[in-house]
Amino acid sequence: MTISLIFVPIILVILLNIPRLSGKTAYYAVLAFFIWQILSVFFPFTGSQQLAGLIGKVFTLNVYADGMSKIMIISAAIVGFVSLITSKAFSKYDSRLFSLSNLMLLSFAGINGLVFTKDIFTMYVFIEVIAAASYILISLDKKDGALEGGFKYLIISSIATVMMLFSISLFFLTAGSTGFAEISTAIRDFGGNPVILAAVMLFITGLLIKGGVIPFHSWLSGAYAEAPAGVSVFLGGIITKTVGIFALIRILYLVTGFNENIKMVLLITGALSIVIGAIMAVTQKDFKRVLAYSSISQVGYIVLALGAGTAFGVAAALFHVFNHAIFKSLLFVNSAAVEKQTGSLDVDSFGGLGYKMPVTSGTSAIAFLSAAGIPPFAGFWSKLLIILALWSAGYQGFAVLAVVASLFTMAYFLTLQKKVFFGELNPKLENVREAPLSLTACAIFLCALTIGVGLIFPYILNVFIFPAVGIM
Amino acid sequence: MIGDTLFLFKLYLITAPILFVVGIYAIITTRNIIAMIIGIEVMMKGVTVLLAAAGYFNGKPQVVEPLIITMIVVEVVILMISAGYIINIVKKHDSLDVANINKLKG
Repeated sequence: MTISLIFVPIILVILLNIPRLSGKTAYYAVLAFFIWQILSVFFPFTGSQQLAGLIGKVFTLNVYADGMSKIMIISAAIVGFVSLITSKAFSKYDSRLFSLSNLMLLSFAGINGLVFTKDIFTMYVFIEVIAAASYILISLDKKDGALEGGFKYLIISSIATVMMLFSISLFFLTAGSTGFAEISTAIRDFGGNPVILAAVMLFITGLLIKGGVIPFHSWLSGAYAEAPAGVSVFLGGIITKTVGIFALIRILYLVTGFNENIKMVLLITGALSIVIGAIMAVTQKDFKRVLAYSSISQVGYIVLALGAGTAFGVAAALFHVFNHAIFKSLLFVNSAAVEKQTGSLDVDSFGGLGYKMPVTSGTSAIAFLSAAGIPPFAGFWSKLLIILALWSAGYQGFAVLAVVASLFTMAYFLTLQKKVFFGELNPKLENVREAPLSLTACAIFLCALTIGVGLIFPYILNVFIFPAVGIM
Repeated sequence: MIGDTLFLFKLYLITAPILFVVGIYAIITTRNIIAMIIGIEVMMKGVTVLLAAAGYFNGKPQVVEPLIITMIVVEVVILMISAGYIINIVKKHDSLDVANINKLKG
């Protein structure tokens, strides 16, 4: 499964470009690829294993599929599917759809590689593949704001990359190899060595910059809010979560392990992100900017859960990554629907859109409730797990903070819902209609996932989340 | 002989952070967007030197060689994308000043 999921996107890109096919063909090919990706997790015999055997005769890569990577593969494919459909509603030209499909395939080669890899240098290469594709995706329309947001992202993310490379060199110096297992042994053997400490610190800081947690968040709002509508879904739903947070989980879990200092760093940055992200989200006037800051706040929860330092905390973090991917892409799809139908994203210019766009309004309300942690939606269970993990690890103060900060989440999302969808209908919006079927269908699909995962969460936990971290 | 190697090793270990800091300093202080990219390249060169030195002193230069070549390829791709950004920004504003890309707030 592993190698074929990395190579098929690359082969598809070559096939689509030589000879150059139409944008529509590329679009359907990529949608088919996403469906195949989900299928290949559940049914390994739908071609992925046979292909992997064929490719494995030519290439050898240090890759291996485990429970964690399966969760990421599924959520990445769902978010990619939805974001491509959303992008199509905004693509006036065939050539734009063609570039979008190709770039999305390339970033999927990166995502699949990143979640399977067991080598720190390979990890860096795949992170750069994803980053390169997303720099282009952000500024696809060459709008002023997008160029600015994308350029900031490029500069800050490149600095993070150099920090990670620096630490890779130091790891190589001490361990003599770049595999996870060898570095992990070296860390165990010479844990107190200042070179190793510097390497671990630089690598974790680089990943935190890429994940956009609070002291390093300045690029995130610009990149998310100025990107084209469909790309925002992709960026907010999966890119920063795989590049920053999933890679962090991998490194912490398989390479460095948890010690007191790392836990403190994670707890403090996580708590800061939750609180400051929520406070800044309240003050924003742009629909997508509110979502971007809420993303910072939710990433804070994930980092806080990692800070508990137990396998239970890692499970909670993974579950929240999945839930966040679903409800955040649902919210970005709805912001795209609002943008398409009204041509604006200024929160103050709306009001009463719920009468005109009932599906968008209803699904947003459910996503908000899930994000704020109201039962029985999926977000409630992952937040509950995070709080339980913190409490059982002995960080009661941080657990209380996580509960209180949920109220902040509630506050900014209720304000947003009220300003945009409830209240008096703004007379200027008299002629607005419900969004096209493709967008509402995506919203309903993601909404059904949020409710469904919330209702059958014991099954999800027992089959996917807990086995992935080796509990039970 | 051992002393010489150790001296060389320390030299590399000092050079790499210096290049790193020079790059960061360039990015922070400059007002020219091309100079920012040059700053990143300088940092990147520091890391390349460190990786090459790490391979040499570990006695595994053949392991490091492909890593460095891969790094250079990735670096060039990122460089091309930033060049694309710079071309588009200059087309829009007709200047290389950072002030043009400092409008987003919050």
